[in-house]
Amino acid sequence: MTPGQQLAHRGWQDEFVVYNNLSGDTHLIDGDTLALLTQLRLAPATVGSLTQALGAGLPPDDLAALPDTLDAMLDSLQHLYLVEPC
Amino acid sequence: MLTVGALTHRELAARLAGPGLFLRTGPFTNCIRSNISYLVDGVAQMYGQYAIDESGFADFHVQFRQPGGWRRWFRPQVRFDHDGLTPFEPLPVDQAFPMLEWMLNYCVSSRAHGYLIIHAAVVEKNGHAVILPAPPGSGKSTLCAALVSRGWRLLSDELTLIGLDDQQLTPLPRPVSLKNASIPIMQAYAPSASFTRSATDTAKGTVAHMRAPDVSVERAAEPARAAWVVFPRYQADAPVTIDPITPARAFMRVAENAFNFSLTGERGFHALGQVMDGCTSFDFTYSKLDEAIALFDNLRVAPR
Repeated sequence: MTPGQQLAHRGWQDEFVVYNNLSGDTHLIDGDTLALLTQLRLAPATVGSLTQALGAGLPPDDLAALPDTLDAMLDSLQHLYLVEPC
Repeated sequence: MLTVGALTHRELAARLAGPGLFLRTGPFTNCIRSNISYLVDGVAQMYGQYAIDESGFADFHVQFRQPGGWRRWFRPQVRFDHDGLTPFEPLPVDQAFPMLEWMLNYCVSSRAHGYLIIHAAVVEKNGHAVILPAPPGSGKSTLCAALVSRGWRLLSDELTLIGLDDQQLTPLPRPVSLKNASIPIMQAYAPSASFTRSATDTAKGTVAHMRAPDVSVERAAEPARAAWVVFPRYQADAPVTIDPITPARAFMRVAENAFNFSLTGERGFHALGQVMDGCTSFDFTYSKLDEAIALFDNLRVAPR
């Protein structure tokens, strides 16, 4: 998570809006993306550890695809200045 | 309470030309100064029922004057000064009243950051308000004018003011701005309403204003709660249709129509979120005003 990011958000059903207090922008995200951001707020993490934390209960095929999915999600979030590599 | 209508035309012109008319509109007092007859006439016609603030304080100081020089004999213009600055180019003098309306909107949208300000009409009935955000040309003001001519209370046709702390909608009832084809449509639809003369060749085409209903102005101190967010779209010959929008998507679209969403920061974010918590949102297409009003009259508040 980008240092100083507060991750203020509000949600309805499986859609959320998140306020980036560093850029002033607001983004529309889904529940999976919010779960990823919430996990990253706890501590910096590798894709491997995120896969372990977020993949619990997934069918094997979905679990195998999860790292690539997380990579793409992290890339998108980096473009929004919500996360950054460390 | 002294109202604009209690002044004779000569007294009104003298105030405008001299110390200024301290016109109360919603929560704001505007000190307006001008010696332009078009503007005096427009104020007399559109603001007769409004209170004059005699405290001597004004939130906004605006002046409309004709520049000097030879040009004033051939192409007379109106120039706008705000707190001693001239932020915009002058316009033809017969656009003085529309310019007053645009500049009062400018003052609010650029200064009143105690509110989250949405570019949206807002009307209310039975305690429940409808916010109508929409880009120019969507038919927002026409629909707003039609609704207030059929019993809905006008809070504003341009600026929805959301309290950052209490999320209440603060009324700012002022004349409804109509453009081009919507002018004769509304003159026929609300024949008892008062309309200004049309100003042609403005940046927005032909423009006229419809006087706000007296009852809306009388109730300008009564805030309202939003129950619906409706994105209207006029489409010729289209039947009335409504398409639900999820709260998160409606939130994003309303935020796009806000003047000061970034400026209000996290407070504005949460204020809008709390408004959306209490609202049902949908896209709305219409072509016939009677059908549109019938649908609005039958809106039901969703249980929370």
